[in-house]
Amino acid sequence: MTDPTIGSACERYFEDPEANAAHLQTCAECRGLNAALAVKTEVEPKPIDVNSLPLAAWEGSSHRPWGLILGGAAIVVAIALALLDATGTSPVHVAQSSLASMESFRALLNSATAWLRTTSIGWQIVFGAAFLVVNGLLIVLLRRAPRGIDA
Amino acid sequence: MHRMLRLFLPLTIVAASLVTAMVAAPPDSGIHAPLADATELLQNTAVKAALLAVWMFTAVALTLLSGREIRYSSVEMRASALHCFALGLVAVTSFALTAVVFSYLIPFHIGIPLLFALGVFAILTKIYGIVAVFHAVGTLVAGSRTREQLAHRTWLRGDLAMVVVGVLILGALRMIPIAGPIIWGLASVFGIGTALATRFGRREPWFLAWRPRLS
Repeated sequence: MTDPTIGSACERYFEDPEANAAHLQTCAECRGLNAALAVKTEVEPKPIDVNSLPLAAWEGSSHRPWGLILGGAAIVVAIALALLDATGTSPVHVAQSSLASMESFRALLNSATAWLRTTSIGWQIVFGAAFLVVNGLLIVLLRRAPRGIDA
Repeated sequence: MHRMLRLFLPLTIVAASLVTAMVAAPPDSGIHAPLADATELLQNTAVKAALLAVWMFTAVALTLLSGREIRYSSVEMRASALHCFALGLVAVTSFALTAVVFSYLIPFHIGIPLLFALGVFAILTKIYGIVAVFHAVGTLVAGSRTREQLAHRTWLRGDLAMVVVGVLILGALRMIPIAGPIIWGLASVFGIGTALATRFGRREPWFLAWRPRLS
């Protein structure tokens, strides 16, 4: 299946060009191929204008303007403290208020569970089917690869 | 019939989105603010401002710890917003239904640890997702558009700055009566979807792909 025009010396040269570099002196065909390859590798890519490329998301991302960060945090904390002081609200009340929303969710969960226990077998099957469909859809959506690049 | 369906379907989607948003971010007593007196309204605003300060510290700390992941999630949210929103809606519904199932299993002793694990996972997902939303909002509003603009900026550049701007904008929007909790809830849905879509910014697949062995 080998090319009959290529001799064993040419094959040895192609297997290890550096060790058999002297072969180029005797074989015009290999010398021509070598010159053509050398010309191809000397082709330089077109220069890229970096400023014409769109701004990547990571550019300048590690910069930390502590003035803005501390200033923003100080403004929010000052407003919160002023409002808490003006209304006489204690930080404990803030924690209670945030937990109250969790309590309402817990009450909703308890009522849904109680309904599921006492409802007919037909509704329980419907709930089971909805559970399977929603979680199946979630798995299908999670299988999609992220699109965002240049993070 | 066809016209009714065309009207009914978007309305159903919007209603389902709003209900899911309310589940994702349960409104505190501030939702009743318009009916309450001025003192109660001010008190609700004070509570929201205090919670906003907590969000600010959480966002800065999380961005300092894993800024690259937050940035990637933010990029993903802006690159495929609809997918993130749909995933968020489905995920919140899945959390709610799974919570009901786990709550059903409480008498069998396995329900409590499962419910606890689900709660912790859901809360962590929401916290991470909301911080990614802060970054995305901050970048959309105050992000640099060109390289020259970026080079001339001293303050409004970097992940931390974008997160802080996002916290301030979304926090201000949250103060609006009635619309504020809805906006915050929709942001939570977006955030949960983004956190799950990017696997918390790590760009790793959730499931192993099975391929038959080639012989």
